[in-house]
Amino acid sequence: MFNTVEEYLDALKQEMQGVDSATIQDALVDAEEHLRTALETADESADALPAIIEQYGTPEETAAAYAEVERLTAPALSGSATKKQGSAIGRFFAIYADPRAWGALLYMLIAFVTGVVYFSWAVTGVSLSVSLALFIFGLPVALLFLLSVRGIAWLEGRLVEALLGVRMPRRSLPAPKNTKLLERIKALLVDKHTWFSIVYMLIQLVLGNIYFIVLVTVFAVSLSGVAIPILQEAFHLPIVQNYDVYYYMPSWGYPLTVLAGIFLWTAMMHLVKLVGGLHGRYAKAMLIAEQD
Amino acid sequence: MPTKKFQKEMNSGTASLVLLSVLSKSEEPMYGYQIAKLLDESREDAIAMKQGALYPVLRSLEKNALLSSKVEPSVSGPPRRYYTITDEGREALPLWSGIWNQMKSFVDNILEGESHV
Repeated sequence: MFNTVEEYLDALKQEMQGVDSATIQDALVDAEEHLRTALETADESADALPAIIEQYGTPEETAAAYAEVERLTAPALSGSATKKQGSAIGRFFAIYADPRAWGALLYMLIAFVTGVVYFSWAVTGVSLSVSLALFIFGLPVALLFLLSVRGIAWLEGRLVEALLGVRMPRRSLPAPKNTKLLERIKALLVDKHTWFSIVYMLIQLVLGNIYFIVLVTVFAVSLSGVAIPILQEAFHLPIVQNYDVYYYMPSWGYPLTVLAGIFLWTAMMHLVKLVGGLHGRYAKAMLIAEQD
Repeated sequence: MPTKKFQKEMNSGTASLVLLSVLSKSEEPMYGYQIAKLLDESREDAIAMKQGALYPVLRSLEKNALLSSKVEPSVSGPPRRYYTITDEGREALPLWSGIWNQMKSFVDNILEGESHV
């Protein structure tokens, strides 16, 4: 049987192999909260744990309970897959009814802001922690920063699940339990999860910029395609102006520019959905801790 | 064991209703262990449902906006997640207990009813 809570958690993790890693993290956090709270309130006797586990359920039973509920609870947005349209054109334009595409679009725009914030926070935190390590008050600064990285990783996970539809942890990881400042910092430093999260925060600046630039550029080009007839006919604005030489598009070209504009943006929505899915998988790989 | 499977299937449906009801009666937010203890006290016979099975149900209720939760640090030990019932949860509860009552009387009628053969 299990002599410590850690042994139970290990067994539970073992039992849940192959299950979605975010569900595993939730299950481990729940089990730890329950078992430790129960142990605290139990008598001082050494063999309280078996009775507590008997009531809580074996790792197999607990794993089965999570699997059952998870089966019934799909992540946000995933329930509304695009309906099958008959024609290819119909399916091409059905992207506008796909909440995943809009979610990914919103995520990419937000990533421009979060990227800057994450990057600044990571760079400031790392450099402050390293340089202040000379002084005694550098330790609390380092600890606060490392804890904030966990918080941000969890927050980003919530954003990714809500907008990209990828299942992410619904609980943040508990902070290390040692009361000694140095040991808590050490526990956070040797945790791969912390470093992956920091790297994610740094890369997010680059990705956020790329997403933003590509989106704005493609949107501008698409919009101009649709706008050319209006600008030329209503406002007599040329498509190209070179000093006093004005170039106008012949009117037979109007349908072509409009169609090209619409097509370009619709294709972009497909690309956005695809990249959104990829980003979700990448975020999942980077931000979810492997508890070991 | 078919009996155990039947027990599990019965639990998975009723647990949501039980948890919603417990939290609607509580004036303060409650955490998982507290709820498990409360449920233990209110039944005399052997434990039919494992406490560990409550947690995923709590999470799924929260996911459906029937409960809300917040994590608060405890004096010692890991932080605890405190659950509160939402307005949506309060609205759902009478409907759910209505379904439960219907189901109960329907099943009772079948079980206790006379043979029609």
